[in-house]
Amino acid sequence: MTATSSHKEIMPYQYLKTFFSARELLWAWTSRTIQARYKQSILGGLWAIIQPAARALLLTVIFTKFIPVDTGAVPYVIFSYVAMVPWMFFSTSITDMVECLVNNMNLVSKIYFPREVLPVAALLARLFDLVIASVLMLLLMIYYHMQIFTLQWLFIPVILVIQIALTLGLGLIGAALNVFYRDVYHLFAFVLQLLFYAVPIIYPVSKVPESIRDIYMLNPISAIIEAYRSVILHNQLPGVELFRAIPIALLLLLIGYWLFKRLEFYFADVI
Amino acid sequence: MAPSILVDQLSKRYRIGGILPDFRSILSRWRDNGLEKYHWAVKDVSFEVPPGGALGIIGPNGAGKTTILKLLSQVTYPTRGQIFMNGRFSALIELGAGFHPDLTGRENIYLNGTILGMKRSEIKARFDRIVDFAGIGQYLDTPVKRYSSGMYARLGFAIAAHVDPDILLVDEVLAVGDYAYQVKCYARMDELRENGTALILVSHNMDTIRRVCDKGLVLYRGEAIYQGTSAEAVVSYSEKIREVARQAQADVPTEGGLSQRVMTFDAEIMDVCLLDENGERTSIVKSGANAKVLVDVVFYKDIQDPIFALAFRTPDGNRVYATTTRWLKLHVPSFSSGERWRIEYSVHLPLLNGSYDLSVNIGAPDFGHYYDRLENALTFEVVDAVNAKGIVDLNSKVNFLKLGA
Repeated sequence: MTATSSHKEIMPYQYLKTFFSARELLWAWTSRTIQARYKQSILGGLWAIIQPAARALLLTVIFTKFIPVDTGAVPYVIFSYVAMVPWMFFSTSITDMVECLVNNMNLVSKIYFPREVLPVAALLARLFDLVIASVLMLLLMIYYHMQIFTLQWLFIPVILVIQIALTLGLGLIGAALNVFYRDVYHLFAFVLQLLFYAVPIIYPVSKVPESIRDIYMLNPISAIIEAYRSVILHNQLPGVELFRAIPIALLLLLIGYWLFKRLEFYFADVI
Repeated sequence: MAPSILVDQLSKRYRIGGILPDFRSILSRWRDNGLEKYHWAVKDVSFEVPPGGALGIIGPNGAGKTTILKLLSQVTYPTRGQIFMNGRFSALIELGAGFHPDLTGRENIYLNGTILGMKRSEIKARFDRIVDFAGIGQYLDTPVKRYSSGMYARLGFAIAAHVDPDILLVDEVLAVGDYAYQVKCYARMDELRENGTALILVSHNMDTIRRVCDKGLVLYRGEAIYQGTSAEAVVSYSEKIREVARQAQADVPTEGGLSQRVMTFDAEIMDVCLLDENGERTSIVKSGANAKVLVDVVFYKDIQDPIFALAFRTPDGNRVYATTTRWLKLHVPSFSSGERWRIEYSVHLPLLNGSYDLSVNIGAPDFGHYYDRLENALTFEVVDAVNAKGIVDLNSKVNFLKLGA
């Protein structure tokens, strides 16, 4: 027996239960998103590699030939690609999540299902891209005779989980608010564009002035990207800044989920 | 038995004038100067549907029919009131709402099935039945964007109808399919009901409501103005529309028959009566007798070539006979404003004992709208049929021919 009334007090564990019961839908929607993205395209999933690779290549030309940036022993192309892949996972996930409810307006206003399936599936579909793009990273590292699969790499899943928590939190906030005001999508896209330069992707953290480096690394996505670099390129453990990013990511995830569930009652009426 | 659906004092309020409050109205809410305006899409509606029951919801556009289905399917939430649903539900508010145009029929069956709450294994088990029902066999691996709208709708219904729900909510979706498919859909709905599924059907087609539903609810401006059997509800709705149209003397949306169109009062049916073979007014007719139906009409405007229609139905709404002057290929005179006319239909009534309802209407030449329409204008009894049961006297003759020893 399901009862619906104007009272909206439901216990949090029930939310998680309905979400869990929708796992098949989550899977189906994720695979639909991936399939649909590369349907009727010749290169298909290769686009997941081409995009970050082209960007890394462009940056390599600029920052080795035009304005040389010192990246130590690591070739610039790998230096930037290792950061570019998780960054693109972060930024594309967020923009996809923010617009997913509005893009599926027809579904949201016509059929009931746990609404968070849509943003979470948007993120999972981008996770698929991340995995594909990582293959090229491995190939590049082999080509440049760098050590791969070192013990430190065991940290990669940890960093990835922190990154997913952060992305989910921001994406859920954006998705829920974008239903009400489409400004949110533009705001997120714009801030992400600016943020690209405030995160150590095209330059090493060592280039950031000492005086502001602590504040700079307080940005959780900077800490996460730097942690990938330490682990993958330098065979070092992630720095302490990654652990400062954990509470921030978790807090954002909680706020995002709470806000999303709070506002979902109005989605169908407002969208 | 516990009802499958119990709805108690259900109300839903929407904000008028853009759903979004702009900055000014947000500010005004803080100051609480009452600038916000609301509209009750559904107001204090209560009903229940037992397992195996079928409730038809009828009403003009904007009466709140779809809102009720959205509330039941938890797409949107009530402002007041409560809904209890016993069991798994499947809702068809828009056919193929969850389809992705680029994915194939096969992929969409799995996707849409999961959206409707089925497990992958359940879909697999029903897959062949769904494909068979939708009749899309050879197009299974074609992207659905290349489907005709009929195929699209058929597949949508096929999936929703195979969730084997305890409760099925259907919104005016069968209009797209061809006749044969509609018959198939009704059969499937009957089958589900026999297995205990409770059905709620929203339709503009009064014949569909009469045929599929046992109970009917008439919604008007968000309120339930009538609840009863589906045949009674259709009559009540028709009366309501007529009453409103008369008051407004203007275009008023009506639906059914010449569906979703308007009734103007350019002509008005003043009287309908039945005459027996002696020319006496009557409400009792002998089986097999000839009779006349007289329809008195006043014209308020000049009207060229209108269509006069006549229909006989059984009390549970099954159509026994219907015809129009258009179908009879009759020449219809022109009518001028202020004229009064009597239209005389001569009919032969080889009907069997029972009660019959007579409906008449006058429609525009393009079937675009009614000038006037009277559902169940009168009811009469057929008597003195002694040699058969049913509706129509097929006048059997019997011979016994011995074929051998």
